[in-house]
Amino acid sequence: MSEVLIQALGLGVDLGGRRVIDGVSLTATAGQTVAVVGPNGAGKTTLLRALAGLLPCTGELRVTKDRAYCAQKPFSAWDYRVRDLGEIVGDPAGFAVWLTKLGLADFAERRLTEISGGEQKCAHLAMALAVLPEPYGALLLLDEPTASLDLAKQAAVHQAIRACAQAGAACVVATHDLAFARRCDQVIVLSEGRLVATGQPGTTLTLEVIAAIWGAPDVTEA
Amino acid sequence: MTATKAFLAGFVLLAGLVVLALSVGAQGFGWGDGGSLVLLRTPRVLAALAAGLALGVGGAAQQGVFRNPLADPGLTGVFGGALFGIALLLGFFPEAAWQRAWCIPAAAFTGALATSALLVVLGGGGGTSRLLLAGLGLNAFTAAGTLVIASRSGESRELLTNGAYGDWLGMATLELTWLPVLLTFIAAAWLLTLARSLDLLSFGEDAARGFGCDVSRVRRNAVLLTALAAAAATCLVGQVAFIGLLAPHLARQLVGPRHAKALPLSALLGAALLLGADTIGRGLWPQAPLSAAAVTAVLGAPLFIWIARGRHE
Repeated sequence: MSEVLIQALGLGVDLGGRRVIDGVSLTATAGQTVAVVGPNGAGKTTLLRALAGLLPCTGELRVTKDRAYCAQKPFSAWDYRVRDLGEIVGDPAGFAVWLTKLGLADFAERRLTEISGGEQKCAHLAMALAVLPEPYGALLLLDEPTASLDLAKQAAVHQAIRACAQAGAACVVATHDLAFARRCDQVIVLSEGRLVATGQPGTTLTLEVIAAIWGAPDVTEA
Repeated sequence: MTATKAFLAGFVLLAGLVVLALSVGAQGFGWGDGGSLVLLRTPRVLAALAAGLALGVGGAAQQGVFRNPLADPGLTGVFGGALFGIALLLGFFPEAAWQRAWCIPAAAFTGALATSALLVVLGGGGGTSRLLLAGLGLNAFTAAGTLVIASRSGESRELLTNGAYGDWLGMATLELTWLPVLLTFIAAAWLLTLARSLDLLSFGEDAARGFGCDVSRVRRNAVLLTALAAAAATCLVGQVAFIGLLAPHLARQLVGPRHAKALPLSALLGAALLLGADTIGRGLWPQAPLSAAAVTAVLGAPLFIWIARGRHE
């Protein structure tokens, strides 16, 4: 049995007096990828922030200290050069390696305002990945890492996630990409802050669930 | 420009300014018999250097902590708070004020800290405009408070008015300046240790925490130390609004936004700007010197507009 890196039982989060997450449970062991899916406003970002320890929550939450969180919309107040980001997270070499893997090796000397939103997102992901001393036993919490990325960058990010998982990290990924979710070990379907379905992709991303949540036929199935 | 070149140029400029500043004054140009005039001018030069340094590093730190290039302790009321603290002391406990060397710096620090705390509470978490609006309100309030006290206390009236116009450098003596100068260096050195954390904080609280940064501790320390720097600067020169905005912008323009480089260069440039302004004010009009704050604003404002335009083009 692999090491449990994150375990949440009956997690609840209140924001501004409103219950945003209610009774969500989730367990991930080393080497697993978990996709968190759901429509806009379902509570994916709030759930990830709570799992990262950034929000006060009720319920039971056990999570490894060795973790990295990548926000949905990274934005720096200052116009750093891309290579500065490695020094900022304290591991320039590790950052450079991830930057190359994510296809941004040629962008190291550019300023953040000189690269696109998708490229900024990849650079931010490289920061998050560089924070981890080694993937084994670490938890990666990624909030929509492929949103606004082109196909090549999406593939590179998916490959990076798989590489981390194969090296023994647990990856919890909020995403709208159901094709990616289908290739994960577990899928958590959220709607209005509650669990709609949880388990392996085959049992969670059924036509019934998709129709009930998104109200549209699953185009990726076709 | 590389960082090394920028720092080297900054040091050469500063050294030149120090020599020039020690050479000009009410007695005209020169060092006097056996350097007697130099000794006389040293406290003023030291005070201008330390105050400028505090203004530069304090501005850069406040901009870092609020993630906002317009956050300047002069605009956000922190300097105003420091002066208001001094005004309260002079207005209500005039005898106590001069009894101990630490009384006035302590009053300034209390005022600066109280305004900083209010700024965090009233202006935090709501983006640029909320912070600046809260800061402008605090600035107006503290300025009005200082003027009310000044108008009601005969003895301290001139002193406080001069402070509000940033015209205290002329009073500098070693007895009055040593403590604020020391506090400036402590605050600046300590702020430099927060450089990487301020870089992380620039990505937002969540991201910074995600990268392992203790956001509350960094923020608390940075606010405290900025208040300390602001208090020290206010004790030395009075209120000078512009250097906290100009020096960090210039520094970031020259060496980029990394705080490890921008904070010390901003301190260096702040010192050079204030000393330069004071020297111009004294050198060109030896009999009726212009205050450092006035010269800073006259020369700094066009320079700042030029930089700001360049940034956004």
